[in-house]
Amino acid sequence: MIEVCSISKFFSVVNDKGLAEGLTAVLNVSLLIPDGSIVSLIGPSGCGKSTFLEILAGLQAPTDGEIRIDGKRVLEPLPSTRKEMEDYKRRYRFISPLANGVFTDRPKHDIAMIFQDYAVFPWMTALGNVVFALELRSAGKRRSERPSRAELEEKARIYLGKVGLAGAEHKYPSQLSGGMRQRLALARALSVEPKIILMDEPFAAVDALQREKLQDDLLFLWKEAGDNAAPISIVIVSHDVPEAVYLSDEVIVFSPGPGGTVRNRILVDVPRPRARTDPEILEIQERIFAVLQYDINQESMYAI
Amino acid sequence: MTDDCYETTGIRRVIQELGGFCKNALGNFFSPEFLCVLAPLLLLWELLPRYDIIPASLLPPLSTVAATFKDMLLHRNLTLHIAYSMGRFFVAFGIAVGLAVPIGMLMGWNQKIRAFILPLWQLLSPIPPPAWVPMTIIVFGIGSSMHIFLMVIGIFYPVLFNTYQGIKDTDPRYLASARVFGASEFTLLRKVYFWHAFGAIIMSLKTGVAMGLVMLVIGEAYGGRMGIGFLLGQAKDYFLIPEMMVCMMVTGFIGWFLIEVLKYVEIKAAIWKVGR
Repeated sequence: MIEVCSISKFFSVVNDKGLAEGLTAVLNVSLLIPDGSIVSLIGPSGCGKSTFLEILAGLQAPTDGEIRIDGKRVLEPLPSTRKEMEDYKRRYRFISPLANGVFTDRPKHDIAMIFQDYAVFPWMTALGNVVFALELRSAGKRRSERPSRAELEEKARIYLGKVGLAGAEHKYPSQLSGGMRQRLALARALSVEPKIILMDEPFAAVDALQREKLQDDLLFLWKEAGDNAAPISIVIVSHDVPEAVYLSDEVIVFSPGPGGTVRNRILVDVPRPRARTDPEILEIQERIFAVLQYDINQESMYAI
Repeated sequence: MTDDCYETTGIRRVIQELGGFCKNALGNFFSPEFLCVLAPLLLLWELLPRYDIIPASLLPPLSTVAATFKDMLLHRNLTLHIAYSMGRFFVAFGIAVGLAVPIGMLMGWNQKIRAFILPLWQLLSPIPPPAWVPMTIIVFGIGSSMHIFLMVIGIFYPVLFNTYQGIKDTDPRYLASARVFGASEFTLLRKVYFWHAFGAIIMSLKTGVAMGLVMLVIGEAYGGRMGIGFLLGQAKDYFLIPEMMVCMMVTGFIGWFLIEVLKYVEIKAAIWKVGR
């Protein structure tokens, strides 16, 4: 379970006059994401949903509030007073708070993350990419319990097969198409058997036909994990309303930035498997479109 | 496995790799286009001095240079001189790269380390490497240690700064996706930063080879009794232009060859970049 308690994130940016200015990326977001559910974050660009996802993954510290994954805090918030600031600086003098450790590989939480691009390392083969993740995940175990290289490769092959990349094990990402690259990223994320997968616009760079196939495959693999008593929660950041509605149990609409906050939470209470043209699905899509449309128009009125 | 039948092993593999190397390195020279340029140039080099259009005492014809090369090879231990120079060069190259790459990686990786030591290199690197020669001769005396030190100075900075830049420019999203899986900083350095900076590091090694050869010639011309730079200095003292040209061409060839080797290493090790 992911508990998000009033997360806010401020940045200081440089404005046109070259002066420092505060920018609110995320404002007071609270959420509860139960195990094994799929949640989409949707909103106009620049509303802070990607920032929110990175805070969720522990890649950025929130300015305020905290996130707990299964009761364990992800990253402490940034200091707010001068005294706290000094303590913080002293503690993280040498190594950043994001780091796992200097020499020991140790995952903090059972998370995998998929980025739109840059998801897989171009300098490793498909197999190498998956083995890399598997190796890291087994690093916490005692030396005697660690799987051998052959076992890791065997496991990696299984997951590559699952996403339909059997036979492409020794190809480099540059030799794969965009859709296949995202499949590889998916295989890498699934192979570590995470409890949570965070996806930052995972299928945005893939053509429409491939995208639908990928979505269906994602749902299939998610369901398979759920059936094997290892439910995976998936948090997807998306621009694509139909995709969000089709995939998720709950769509969270962010208000337009700066200062994105939760505007609407829309439950998609349609049993799976769903049809893309299901009237209920279409109706929910219409509602979300209407909400976003309203926000965008309001904003343009202010702009005038 | 379908992809295993393309793998060859043993001596056939070595021959295959050598063939690939020669094709890569020499392909440019033996293309018809370049031969159209090279052949007339060589012909002019031979004929202009021969017919006294340019005085032969200033520009000896190609055949004289070739004869001198053969003479030096047979009677003046040219190979031994080259071996000495190369031995020193590789020691210096090893030391410089062994220092510069780790230091550059540490500086690129951590802001604190960068804050401590980067200004030092920024202060020292503008000193042109040849300006170190007099000090070095006084401190180390004349001998191999002086030559090696000078070459280290020449190779160190380009490798250091390029490595540092390459590491610093690593895309944060690659780092993020490895960190989420629990990668420690050391693993990141080994598996992410290094490979991301690989192109920059190889590039810097090429610059390093060039700078190292510059310092090789300068250092050996200033002092020593062995080495290609020493031969060049001697030829200068006795005004032997064919010998000078032989030395120039030998150093040029060495530099070209080393850079071709590095290029080949890059192609082989960074196979993931090919086809982009």
